[in-house]
Amino acid sequence: MIQMFHVTKAYPGDPPVLTDVNLTVDKGEFVFLTGPSGAGKTTLLKLVFCAEQPTRGQILVGGRNVARIRDASIPYLRRNIGVVFQDFKLLPHRTVLDNVAFTLDVLGTPRAESRERVLRMLKLVGLQHKAESLPLKLSGGEQQRVVIARALVNDPTILLADEPTGNLDPALTVEILDLLCEVNVRGTTVVVATHDATLLERYQKRVIRLERGRVVGDTAQVQVTRRTG
Amino acid sequence: MGAVAKSDVFWRSALQGIRHQPFPHAVAVLILAISLFALGLGRAAGGLLQGLLRGLDAEVQVTVWLRAEARPADIERLSASLRARGFEVSLVTPRAALERLVHDLGPSAESLRGMSADALPASLELRVPAPWRTTEALRRLGAELGAEPEVSAVDFGEAAVERLGALARLLRWGGLFAFAVVLGATVAVVGATLQLAIYARREEVEIQKLVGATDRFVRAPFLIEGLLQGLAGAVLALVGLAVVRQWIEPQVEGLFGFLRLPGGAPPLWAGARTLELLGAGALLGLLGSFLAVTRALRA
Repeated sequence: MIQMFHVTKAYPGDPPVLTDVNLTVDKGEFVFLTGPSGAGKTTLLKLVFCAEQPTRGQILVGGRNVARIRDASIPYLRRNIGVVFQDFKLLPHRTVLDNVAFTLDVLGTPRAESRERVLRMLKLVGLQHKAESLPLKLSGGEQQRVVIARALVNDPTILLADEPTGNLDPALTVEILDLLCEVNVRGTTVVVATHDATLLERYQKRVIRLERGRVVGDTAQVQVTRRTG
Repeated sequence: MGAVAKSDVFWRSALQGIRHQPFPHAVAVLILAISLFALGLGRAAGGLLQGLLRGLDAEVQVTVWLRAEARPADIERLSASLRARGFEVSLVTPRAALERLVHDLGPSAESLRGMSADALPASLELRVPAPWRTTEALRRLGAELGAEPEVSAVDFGEAAVERLGALARLLRWGGLFAFAVVLGATVAVVGATLQLAIYARREEVEIQKLVGATDRFVRAPFLIEGLLQGLAGAVLALVGLAVVRQWIEPQVEGLFGFLRLPGGAPPLWAGARTLELLGAGALLGLLGSFLAVTRALRA
């Protein structure tokens, strides 16, 4: 689903943010991307949904080379990728329903169908009773669930989450991660960037560790080594 | 179906955008209204001047001075041929010319006492039809008439015709230049104002792009906003022009009456110009918003 081959990302005048990254995430996997601040987690996610372009290397997403993708094609790629950020990015003047429907508006989904799909998604994340509320009236956990609903409402194949629980307390953190796991069980490939080690312990998923822009650990490789060793 | 749904989204988004940020939109509407008001005023003034020029144009008169020995039959033949070509011909006899001079001179005419009734030459005064009212055509006519044996000289006020023509050209080019300057300034200022509105909605634009909106999708609501601003500005300008018209029209009618120009004063504002102004407003609003959102998307 996601493949990176010798990917390097550097900004002019600065040391590389990512150096020679090679990794593969299979369809339906749940992967934690971890590392200290500045390790390159966010940059790696941005490369996947083409918010950045790599300086060197190739990136395949769903079999498509996105390293050299044309600007005009990026929107169509992003319709298959849901993204969740730490800072929610909800529109304060629109209701929960309108915020989630945003994704379907872009696709030209008729209003009636859009409303039906949004309500179904809000039910999945446990917020159908808050459809007409404004985001500022929701708790942090609820807001993040709205963001997840928006990211999933058009059934993307990949969900990228960048520190989705960074602003949440431990109880809410678990709530959100449970939801992401449920999403993963339904077939969506999930990649979660986090520096919270307790999550890695609690949810025994594959972990890719980054340090100073390099992949320094990958539990999938460890497992393969153990199996073959 | 997608297009209809998207159109609904664009209009809702545009109206929401205006509702949530009325101030930058009000500023853009005001700027557009002022520019369109100036444009409308310029057009009305241009129309008036054109009417004035046409009126003066209609007064173009050619005087054909006749030789003293010209026979009445030859003069009549010449007059008939000119009438056949559309000219209004008036014969001014020497006596009539002297009477006219005495009248024009007023008290100074005392110096003409004792002057012979045949002192001044007879002449034909021609009222020139429209196709002949250019310097070139009048020169040709003058040359043609000057070759007639009965004619001693032809006077068609060449200098006045050239001045009128130059004035008309100046007005035309000056008007175009002023229009271009106003247009450019309006688009620049409206674009800058709209960029403020777009900047204030940068988060919305960011999310739209994140979930897969194309640039066209992002642009559409802002174009609609620009269109609505342009139309609103045009309506305001029309109201202002209507107010000005109430005050100016009586004075214009008086001027045309004073000048005794044929046809009277042209209307200060024709119905077609209302549509023109609305169209100009819509175009300016669209252009300003297009430039603003294109700059924002590039950034």
